[in-house]
Amino acid sequence: MNSKSVNNKWSWTLLVLSAVALLAFGSMRSSGPQTQADRIDAITKVLACPTCQGESVYVSRASAAESIRAEVARQIASGQRTDDEVIAFIEARFGSRVLLVPRSTGLDSLIWVLPVFALVCAVGTLGFAFRRWKVVGNDSISEEDAQLVERALREEQ
Amino acid sequence: MFAASGINGTLGRAFLLVGIIGSLFGAIAAISSARQRDQAVAKLIPRFAVLVFAASFGAFAVMERAMINRDFSLAYVQKVGSVSTPALYNFAAVWSALEGSILMWVLILAGYTLAVTFWLRKKMDDVLSRYALGVMFIVSMFFFVLSFGPANPFAAGPAGVFDGPGPNPLLQNHLLVMFHPPLLYLGYVGMTVPFAFAIAALITGRVGEGWLLATRRWTLFAWGFLTIGIVLGSWWSYEVLGWSGVWAWDPVENASLLPWITATAYIHSVLVQERRGMLRVWNLSLLVSTFSLTILGTFLTRSGVLNSVHAFSQSAIGPWLLTFFAVIVVVSVGLIGWRGDRLHAPGSIDSPLSREGAFLANNVLFAIFAFVVLLGTVFPLIVEALQSRTIVVGEPFFNRLTIPIGITMLTIMAIAPVLPWRKASQELLSKRLFWPAWCGVIALAGSVWVGATGLAPLLTFALGGFASGSALRQVVLATRRQGLRGLVGRANGGMIVHLGVIIIAVALAASNSFTHSQELNLEVGKVATFNGHTFELIDVIEVKTDRATAVKALVKVDGGKAYAPAITKFTKQGMNVGTPSVKTGLAKDIYLTLEPPVRQDEKKARIKVFFKPLLLWLWIGGGLMALGTLLAAFPGRRRKPTSPTSDDDFAADLLVML
Repeated sequence: MNSKSVNNKWSWTLLVLSAVALLAFGSMRSSGPQTQADRIDAITKVLACPTCQGESVYVSRASAAESIRAEVARQIASGQRTDDEVIAFIEARFGSRVLLVPRSTGLDSLIWVLPVFALVCAVGTLGFAFRRWKVVGNDSISEEDAQLVERALREEQ
Repeated sequence: MFAASGINGTLGRAFLLVGIIGSLFGAIAAISSARQRDQAVAKLIPRFAVLVFAASFGAFAVMERAMINRDFSLAYVQKVGSVSTPALYNFAAVWSALEGSILMWVLILAGYTLAVTFWLRKKMDDVLSRYALGVMFIVSMFFFVLSFGPANPFAAGPAGVFDGPGPNPLLQNHLLVMFHPPLLYLGYVGMTVPFAFAIAALITGRVGEGWLLATRRWTLFAWGFLTIGIVLGSWWSYEVLGWSGVWAWDPVENASLLPWITATAYIHSVLVQERRGMLRVWNLSLLVSTFSLTILGTFLTRSGVLNSVHAFSQSAIGPWLLTFFAVIVVVSVGLIGWRGDRLHAPGSIDSPLSREGAFLANNVLFAIFAFVVLLGTVFPLIVEALQSRTIVVGEPFFNRLTIPIGITMLTIMAIAPVLPWRKASQELLSKRLFWPAWCGVIALAGSVWVGATGLAPLLTFALGGFASGSALRQVVLATRRQGLRGLVGRANGGMIVHLGVIIIAVALAASNSFTHSQELNLEVGKVATFNGHTFELIDVIEVKTDRATAVKALVKVDGGKAYAPAITKFTKQGMNVGTPSVKTGLAKDIYLTLEPPVRQDEKKARIKVFFKPLLLWLWIGGGLMALGTLLAAFPGRRRKPTSPTSDDDFAADLLVML
């Protein structure tokens, strides 16, 4: 091993270490204070507006969404509950159809399971394909192909 | 007035009828001349293409005429027309509802058919060209029939109507509605061209590489417009809808994203086929998926099965589109199966750590991305069908699944551009990736420095830096070698597109993760402060026009210019529409909305302020993607088509012709 590749190894190690350190530091520290409006935004993003089709309370300007938003704002302003408790409170009051995140039980769980299943299948197929290609790739060259290459090379000169 | 009123309806339908007949005969001429190699019949094809385009143009012009003259004898004008709509929005009102947008589809499709015919004018001897045009004529005929029958824009409305509500208020307060739908449709409909060539290649059995090279630029053109259309749509959403977001994972947005995903996958994987002759079935499937997803998307969003903010009212086109979708899928799968023997790939991929290996990984990711978006879009339908209850699948689901996909894509984008074909050694990778990787670390350090937190955004910034390092490396090396020519061509233009994508990814991560908002109760004469910025209410004013009343709060930001978020009440529709006002900046946007209830007389206003870091860069990234697409379309360094698997000289001919 020559000195250049040793240097190289050291600088890559340094690079990886600094990236990991920065990532760890950056993702561990707190993201700073949230305003009440930030909390309301975060909560209303996972609540569905009951009267409009497919919009969150955060997005919707419908009156039903306005009233849920007002309720969330009241809960936040009172300062008694955490975000999850507020969501649970809203669910208890308006029913589970206001939850925008699909449940992970019953039929609804398929929406979470199927993408993972697809990923496993895709990666599996790809791995299998590479293994097969490896076998095919190691096959020796046929006589015919060798002659073809030889002829082509002669023509080139 | 009544004498004239019947004319638009009759004339429009006459044009559509001519279009149906013209495309029917065009299809017959194209296919029969292809089957019997009849030169005389083939000469007729261009004439039918001209006729069909003239018919579609005529029908569209008549619709515009009816809209401009406020011909309220037509049901469609009654629905979206109004005496008081300003001229520009009135012009755009033609495509503001279902029937008119199908008419625009017809116009653009006929335009593409004519353009392809002109492009192939010296290649008309080739059977493959004729089949491709035959497919285009058949698709055109379907849309003409759709417009003539179930989505008829020229149907007569009830008599005695002299005014209408005008287009949806949301579609008449920003100029982007003029451009977003036509550009999106140029992308959508343009996917018909590569699809037609794919089918023609399957029919003729010439599934070699010729037709791929031939249609590369058409696909790129359509992809570029689809990209611009999607970006403009997000911009419209941001500027008009007032929730400060750019993307809601709404079914219509998803419907435009799905063909974009599969087309993007195709643009990458087709390189493997060109270079190595592999992945033929996969590429054909991607083209077929792209085209059929445009039809499926139109079905899902325009037939009323899924509801969304874009969805037009219930209509009869659902079964038509679904049937057409089924026919496309069955025919394509059948053809691919029939030609299975010729589609067999001759080569093999030696190592996952190679250019082709990376393209494969990219395609797996794109396929899963498309699957996730499709699943999330149709899942509520499945649940409703099986258990008859409604569920909503929204942003939380899509974010949770697409953010990891996006981060993995960035990783591939960082490594793939430096990979050679066939196989990469460790030394080579370590050498080529060294500076790009340090770019990533510097980007990471910079974002930690300015206070960014959270694993997903930090990874996005780091990998964004890494990937732009790799992209820039390619561009720098190419320009050093070839001067300005190093900026054009597929690989170099592609890297400019990558830079645009990276900028968008970073802007999305920053604006989604580090948004702050606050509600401010402002009073005239008092200054409120939030996040180091001052907000002062100058006045609350009312602006009345004959179609709407707007209440505007004039808010001075940082003592400078006054911004005017508003709530507009559209009198005819009885609908309140909030209009945000945005102070744009390179570092962050300050987005102001006026919150209800508003009382103009009290000189008070409840304002919601959003801080959106780096949001402007979304549009800059979009512009860079468009620029890169343009550069990629220019021929780069000429390379002899030496692919060992080219089984005809069509490719070489077309390359010369281009």
